[in-house]
Amino acid sequence: MLKSIIKREILSNLLSYRFSIMTVLSTTLTLASIFLMYRDYGLARENYEVLASEDAAAVIPPTPLSIFAKGLEENLCRAYALSLGERISASSKQQSVNDLFKLFTVPDLLYIIKVILSLCAMLFAFDMVSGEKEAGTLRQSLSGSLGRPILIVGKWIGGFTSFILPFFLAALLGAIFVSLQPKVAMGPQDWARLGLFLLSSVIYLAVFFSLGLLISCLTHESSSSLVVSLFAWTLLVFLIPNLGNILARQLVEVPTVQQLELTRRHIALSALMEVNRLPDWPERKTRLEQARSEQDQLTEDYRNRFARLVTLSQNITRVSPTAAFTFLATDLAGTGIAEERRLKQAVVQYLSERGDDQEPDRPRFSYQRTSCRVVLGRGGLGNFLILVLFDLLFIAATYVAFLRYDVR
Amino acid sequence: MLKPLKVVIAREFLHNLLNLRFTVGLALCLTVTVACIIILSHDYRQELADYSRRVNLQGEFLGKYALTDWINQMMPGQKPPERFRPVIIGIPGNETENSLDENPLPILFPRLDSLFIVTIVMSLLALLFSYDAVTGERERGTLRQMISNSVSRTTILLGKFLGGIASLLIPFILALLVGVLCINLNPNIHWDGSAWAELGLLIAASLTFITSFYLLGLMVSTWSRSSSVSMLNCLFLWVLLVLVIPNVGPYISAQLRRIPSIRAMERQAAEIKRAWLEAGPPREKEVVEQFRGKYGGLFSQFEALGFGQAQEEQKGNPEKVGQLAAADPRFKAMVESFRDELARLGQERRTALNKAMLDLGADLRAKAAAQTRLAKYLAAVSPLADFVYVARDLTGTGLRSLKYFEKSQGEYRWRFRQYASGVEAAVEAAHKNEPRPEGGWFLDLRDHPRFVFQEEPWKDKLGAVLPYWGILGLFNVVFFAGAFAGFVRYDVR
Repeated sequence: MLKSIIKREILSNLLSYRFSIMTVLSTTLTLASIFLMYRDYGLARENYEVLASEDAAAVIPPTPLSIFAKGLEENLCRAYALSLGERISASSKQQSVNDLFKLFTVPDLLYIIKVILSLCAMLFAFDMVSGEKEAGTLRQSLSGSLGRPILIVGKWIGGFTSFILPFFLAALLGAIFVSLQPKVAMGPQDWARLGLFLLSSVIYLAVFFSLGLLISCLTHESSSSLVVSLFAWTLLVFLIPNLGNILARQLVEVPTVQQLELTRRHIALSALMEVNRLPDWPERKTRLEQARSEQDQLTEDYRNRFARLVTLSQNITRVSPTAAFTFLATDLAGTGIAEERRLKQAVVQYLSERGDDQEPDRPRFSYQRTSCRVVLGRGGLGNFLILVLFDLLFIAATYVAFLRYDVR
Repeated sequence: MLKPLKVVIAREFLHNLLNLRFTVGLALCLTVTVACIIILSHDYRQELADYSRRVNLQGEFLGKYALTDWINQMMPGQKPPERFRPVIIGIPGNETENSLDENPLPILFPRLDSLFIVTIVMSLLALLFSYDAVTGERERGTLRQMISNSVSRTTILLGKFLGGIASLLIPFILALLVGVLCINLNPNIHWDGSAWAELGLLIAASLTFITSFYLLGLMVSTWSRSSSVSMLNCLFLWVLLVLVIPNVGPYISAQLRRIPSIRAMERQAAEIKRAWLEAGPPREKEVVEQFRGKYGGLFSQFEALGFGQAQEEQKGNPEKVGQLAAADPRFKAMVESFRDELARLGQERRTALNKAMLDLGADLRAKAAAQTRLAKYLAAVSPLADFVYVARDLTGTGLRSLKYFEKSQGEYRWRFRQYASGVEAAVEAAHKNEPRPEGGWFLDLRDHPRFVFQEEPWKDKLGAVLPYWGILGLFNVVFFAGAFAGFVRYDVR
């Protein structure tokens, strides 16, 4: 029985206008995004080759997974070097030449999935129950020996399969296209990460599909179902992640980077000025060490506060599956906040050990992005479980709501 | 004509008012706008305090250590937070881009502000209000009844548009009023007349934007047979116009108008340098040949001492040359003339190299400008991009205001340098016979000109955004014409 319901659901979806329009949208956007971001990756790769040839700089190569989830890759792939007053400065970003990049979002696969496909998932499901009720077919279906649990499970499986298949095929095609390019060298570790990214995408989209179905089970008209679905989508995808972020800033006070940089420069320059007036080297040395310690204290305080801000922001925004998915996907791709923090620590350590010494036989900066296992161990699994939990919650609620649904 | 129109407007207005979408829209607009403005006002207060601290820090430094050679390291001219910061979050400049501690959070989650509420929430609401304006009536059978009376199709369409837009704007206007009240009551926000004028223009631009999406929904509705199809088409267009085109624009333009990567630029620079170095010896050889022809044996004597070409100078015997030059004025004149000629050639070549390098930089800037322009034009296909340009440039939170600030800051810093040079000249004159101390003289800059950033006049801003506002208006006209064409032919059965 379940099989025939799934089959019926898939067939009716395949023949619908909605399926055609969603398939065209998801396939085109997925492929176009992968192609555009692949070209962007090529440019980042070229830049890396130049930056890496400069001995003084600490720089890491771009990861091919940034094609799928760019995250903080522009920040990560800057070259870091020591400048005046032991300050670590970063080179400009490749995109800084075109100011328009500042106005809009990166259209990578992560964006397509978390914003556009999540909307498509809800649109696929929003009238699966309320629409059938309006058409009168739900009454007919349940008038026979068919049980409600089987019907709702069949509807979920059939609907989600017909929604996810075109996207999955397009993403797979895109991944194959990328792996065939000579510029892209993906190792087994990268394939594992990509596999996990796609798996988490499916789970993320299932959350929105289940939510759409739940809303459909809670309403009796498809127009109401649509309004509530769009409201929920706006709330989960845009409002909670963005509001949570600015709310965290209200709770943890962090000075601006401009102020930090200016204060650090003020300390360094003041020390230099005063050193010139001091007569003996020991006194001068003490003054310089004092300035260094003041700077270190200031920087440490800033970084501690900032780490608290990031943690709080992550905890608040995780109420939304979109934020949990963003953290998980960028961490898996090696372009997330945790990776950025780890890289900065490595850069600080390397440059402070190396100092101004420019000897040619000095070891070059080497850095390995966090392995898949470690990513999962440090919060990745937590984000994954949050997504699964949302799935289970919405599926269970849908099940209960449908059992009580008035089909008349 | 007027009475039936009024009736259609009132009917449409009431129908929307009693619908669930109105309640949801009102709740969403009010909650998000008020939350946004309260949080952003708090942010603004923090940023103002941060700005004051930076200005004081620079003032303190200049008061204590204004040595001639060091004042450039602490040049005043800090960027104050934008006055529209409680409403729209400005674009960060490049000043923090080279910092290790740059905040990465806004990259992952773009901040929430009034611009977001209008572009995402209101555009979506506009489509929700209009997608079934015609199809819904057809499905319920009421459209047929209306047409069977003496009401013309133009009146119905106009009434649906006016009634629908009036009901849609209620949540927006209410949220706006509460927002304005919050701004007015906040003691940290001091807006002058021009700021209120800019807010008025921003509201007008927002209305143009929201109307364009309402009309888009109406147009799609008049071209569809059922509400479900109309809704799907509307959302498909919304995704394209709001979520896809503006974001993809810069990336497409980056492919169409390629800017050389840093690597390519470096390669070109190296190529120019290599060609420059290679061209050196042949040119010097020409000079040598010329002198050989002109001075014959005398020049051979000079060459025998290890001289001739510039790179060989160090191998030569300068003492011997000096002795010969002292003994023979003709030899001396020849050596001087030869050296002058080589120096002239060197200068000429250095100038050519500098020019080539400058041309390379100018070429990069021109290509970057062309890419940005193309991206802007490509994105202008979307009403969202047009509205973003208009709203940001009007409120001084966009790219134009960043450039305007940099210009003002540059002018101020020039004035500051002029002032410091004047003080320096006076100090030097007072200590004429004393040796210059390490780091230069201490300059008393207590009366230095203060940097007060004046916003660009709103009329200039308006002039700059009019083309994009015009495009927004054009979208309205096109969508209304589309709706009219669709509705005139619409089969109401």
